[in-house]
Amino acid sequence: MSQQNDLPPGWIAQWDPTHQRHLFIETTSGHQQWEHPLETAGGPLDATVAPAPAPSGHGKRRAYAVGQTHAYDGAGEVAPYPDAAGYGAPVQPGMGGAPAPLFTPGLANDQFAAQQQAAQGQGYYGGSEQYPAQQPAYGQQQPMQYPPVNQLADQFGHMGLGGQKPFALHTANLVATPPNPLELLMPPPEIRLPPGASITDSPAANADPSYMRSTINVVPTTYQLLNKSKLPFSLVLTPHRTLKSAVNSSVDDPPVPVVTDTVIARCRRCRSYINPYVTFIDGGQRWKCCLCSMSNEVPQMFDWDQARNQPGDRWSRPELTSGAVEFVAPTEYMVRPPQPLVYVFLIDVSHAAVQSGMVATATRTILESLDRIPNDDNRTRISLIAFDTALYFFSLTPGSTETSMLVVSDIDDVFLPKPNDQLVLNLTESRAAVETLLGRLQEMFQDTQIIGSALGPALQAGFQLASTTGGKLITLSASLPTLGVGALKNREDPKILGTPKESALLQAGSPFYKTFAIECSRAQVSVDMFLFAATYTDVASLSCLPHYTSGQTFFYPGFNAARSEDAIKFAHEFGIVLGSQIGLEAVIRVRASRGIHMSAFHGNFFVRSTDLLALPAVPPDQNYVIEISLEETLTTPFVVFQTAVLHTTCFGERRIRVITLALPTTSNISELYASVDQIAVATFLANKAVERTQANKLEDARDMVQKYVTDILGAYKSNMTGGGGAAAAGLAIPTNMQMFPLLALGLLKHVALRQSSQIAPDLRAYAHSLLTTLPSQTLIPYLHPSFYSLHDMPPECGTIGDAGVILPPLLPLTSERLVKHGLFVIEDGQTIFLWVGRDSVPQLIMDVFNLPNYEALRGGKYTLPILDNPFSQRVNAIIGKIREMRRGPYYPALFIVKEDGEPPMRLWALSALIQDRGDQTPSYQQWLGQLKDKLNGSSYN
Amino acid sequence: MGGEGWLFLFAVLMAAALLFTSVFFIIMFSDLECDYMNPIDLCNKLNQFVVPENLAHAFLCLLFLLSFQWTALLINAPLLAYNVNKVVITKTHTFDATEIFRTLPQHKKESFIRLGFYLLSFFYYLYRMIVALISESE
Repeated sequence: MSQQNDLPPGWIAQWDPTHQRHLFIETTSGHQQWEHPLETAGGPLDATVAPAPAPSGHGKRRAYAVGQTHAYDGAGEVAPYPDAAGYGAPVQPGMGGAPAPLFTPGLANDQFAAQQQAAQGQGYYGGSEQYPAQQPAYGQQQPMQYPPVNQLADQFGHMGLGGQKPFALHTANLVATPPNPLELLMPPPEIRLPPGASITDSPAANADPSYMRSTINVVPTTYQLLNKSKLPFSLVLTPHRTLKSAVNSSVDDPPVPVVTDTVIARCRRCRSYINPYVTFIDGGQRWKCCLCSMSNEVPQMFDWDQARNQPGDRWSRPELTSGAVEFVAPTEYMVRPPQPLVYVFLIDVSHAAVQSGMVATATRTILESLDRIPNDDNRTRISLIAFDTALYFFSLTPGSTETSMLVVSDIDDVFLPKPNDQLVLNLTESRAAVETLLGRLQEMFQDTQIIGSALGPALQAGFQLASTTGGKLITLSASLPTLGVGALKNREDPKILGTPKESALLQAGSPFYKTFAIECSRAQVSVDMFLFAATYTDVASLSCLPHYTSGQTFFYPGFNAARSEDAIKFAHEFGIVLGSQIGLEAVIRVRASRGIHMSAFHGNFFVRSTDLLALPAVPPDQNYVIEISLEETLTTPFVVFQTAVLHTTCFGERRIRVITLALPTTSNISELYASVDQIAVATFLANKAVERTQANKLEDARDMVQKYVTDILGAYKSNMTGGGGAAAAGLAIPTNMQMFPLLALGLLKHVALRQSSQIAPDLRAYAHSLLTTLPSQTLIPYLHPSFYSLHDMPPECGTIGDAGVILPPLLPLTSERLVKHGLFVIEDGQTIFLWVGRDSVPQLIMDVFNLPNYEALRGGKYTLPILDNPFSQRVNAIIGKIREMRRGPYYPALFIVKEDGEPPMRLWALSALIQDRGDQTPSYQQWLGQLKDKLNGSSYN
Repeated sequence: MGGEGWLFLFAVLMAAALLFTSVFFIIMFSDLECDYMNPIDLCNKLNQFVVPENLAHAFLCLLFLLSFQWTALLINAPLLAYNVNKVVITKTHTFDATEIFRTLPQHKKESFIRLGFYLLSFFYYLYRMIVALISESE
């Protein structure tokens, strides 16, 4: 097609195999559209017709689908230019070398409506010009295709179709449509609430999907319907997500509005908080709870602006306009006065730890981060315990800035050598002492020859220090705990890897780590684990502590601070963890409309009662998945889910963060399928698979993933396509779930689950902990890495656009795209591989690496030099962008992979290309074949 | 009253005691479900009873073996094997507070099955005791 060439600057055309046409992308803004930019810009209208659906293998259904999507998405764009889009297509068939477009009644009608609309002069120009700026800041990769919900609703309203148009379900054939990674960047299916559901009609009435999203954006009215569809129903929560400036749009994440006047209206019966979906009755004197229909009194001060001491406007209160809101809680919500932030560092100072440079890097990072540790109220306290085969406490000598070291070598019965307040130092008052101590710690132990680690006793000591106030134990360990309680054995046995016995290695090796975790959770103590090991360190057991105390696990295999990449990665992540605004002493409860029940919980916390999650600390960007079951038939037109996180902020304020999500109900199975959020489903599946591995075996987890995919495909086939017949030739799936099978395959091929006898149990266990904690935005690339080609990227990539650095177009994950002279990036959010082809021209190597030729380049961890040439700067900009664009503390390390380099490195990088055939895993096409055979052979027909 | 009578009298009392432990377990589980109790206390409390309950049952089986009561032994053999597997071999008999909510339905089901089993065996022992007494008095 000629469309590639005659594009205005800043635009690229990307062939979209799904829709058999070019997708035009304005690279500076990320704006995407189907129409040729010259036409929509009001340029030469007769240049090319708007691409109309070309007849494809799936005949009418397909063409109809395109027409429909077009009418929805492009309505704002199509409408103003009836000449180009509306009339052009039918009147001038065959232009641009395209065959006569197949035209369907659906398309014609919708476009006709759109034209009518435009002809009536409803001012669409303004609307379509504004909307890129109004994009809801979803994640950072906001595609520009969908107008905001309310605007869309407006359009439907104007079109006379009513506010509640049923979801149009489009079926795709998986076998015939190659996966398009761009679809992973799409926002979830739109939530179409009945008109008037929200009393303020605010666009933010439903919280942003990054706070809370559901696997299905329409709730089935009965359990039978849900069961029939085989779709999982769960909520994916990240209540404390960080606010990051959105990458693909110029809009930053809006902060969560705070209600400061401590007027908290709650339902008397179900204890839910007032939200945009309640209704006011009795002239606004009472409100009706949207969860349980209870009528409640509106608090007296609700309409009073306490800040200005004058009557306020009820409708501007954040709890009525925003789905995500934070209340400042009065004393009734406190068991005790808000606790100060207490950090107890447990630092391994055995021979291995000192030699690897961990101690030096850690102390330097703490020293540099002292100003970033939240300490607004000057109450933050820190303490430091070093341990090898004994425990070393550091206490402040009264009246001096020096600390003295106290050695406790009795590790069987741990006691504190001094009272608590002399061991835990106030960061502001004892700043000098803390700094001297941190500066000297490395020196004190630098010649140590002691091997062995009393991690368990150190944890107990740390617990005694922190238990009265609650706090955080930050553990840095470089060897397997061998002494005292919690001693672990080296369970790793290469012979059992890849056999069913392997799964035992992924379960806790000592009951101590569970019982101690429970004690910690009770005393509001959270444990973070930073593990640095040259050899086996039993991540599976150690990560139990962060798991049940809502901490985080970080694992740096083969850490050596002499390699600057290792040191930078650790220092960066550790620094972010220290500086993050955590919540303390938290509980999470999710409430929902009557008939809906929370049945299972996944994530890092302790389940304290059937629906109450206890979190001693809430780190930002942690993901929780909650499974939902339907117990009664739902009769309301929409249902509401409300997550409340009661926590103490790190500046000593008790707050409740309330996140509300309303979803419409349906009794129509096709609407159910059309509203599936594949990202949320994949997140759910990853969590479920890890749970299954820990409770049973790896094989069971793999079977479960496989079963979910086959069940969904089978149910879709029998429910929606009428069983066998013509549909049997392909694999039918709703278009909004097209990437789901690939994501599931990515999960099956992931280090966490893959069938292999080569994967160290530590790596598996760490992958498990990541799968259950990463928010969707980071989890999806972890399952389905991003793949970019650098050597032939468009000239604007790597330069700064409106929304930061422009990334090259995403490629499908197959090694067919690798070329011998190329330079590629494969990244999964945890590691970045820079693949260098063997025939790379010396100029490219020179420009990027400052080396004479390919032979001079060495594989492995690498720091890219910033050179004085535009290409190097662009590559560095892209790498920098990849490192900072997602939420979470992770700082992916960069690896150079040479095409003919060391096989393990190469295989590791290639394992990220999940559409390819692996060692014992099928390629995507093969897998689809297997699924198809299974469906056709089973009783789904 | 002869040996057999005494044996089954003891078995009846034992079955009654076991019956009560099962009921106690079920009550505790429903307390947990209704949020009257937190999982940590529940597990600490119940874990004290698991091994004694299993020991009591094993002791009963031992008595049946020593007094050559093959039928009674045979009835109890499956449960004994299950208990031995759980306590001695896989060591999964303790309740885990971190997992309790996930495994609660299983635990309840198991407790109900035990309850049923003890109830049936209670009546069987009672019957055997009466038979033994009658045969003695004749």
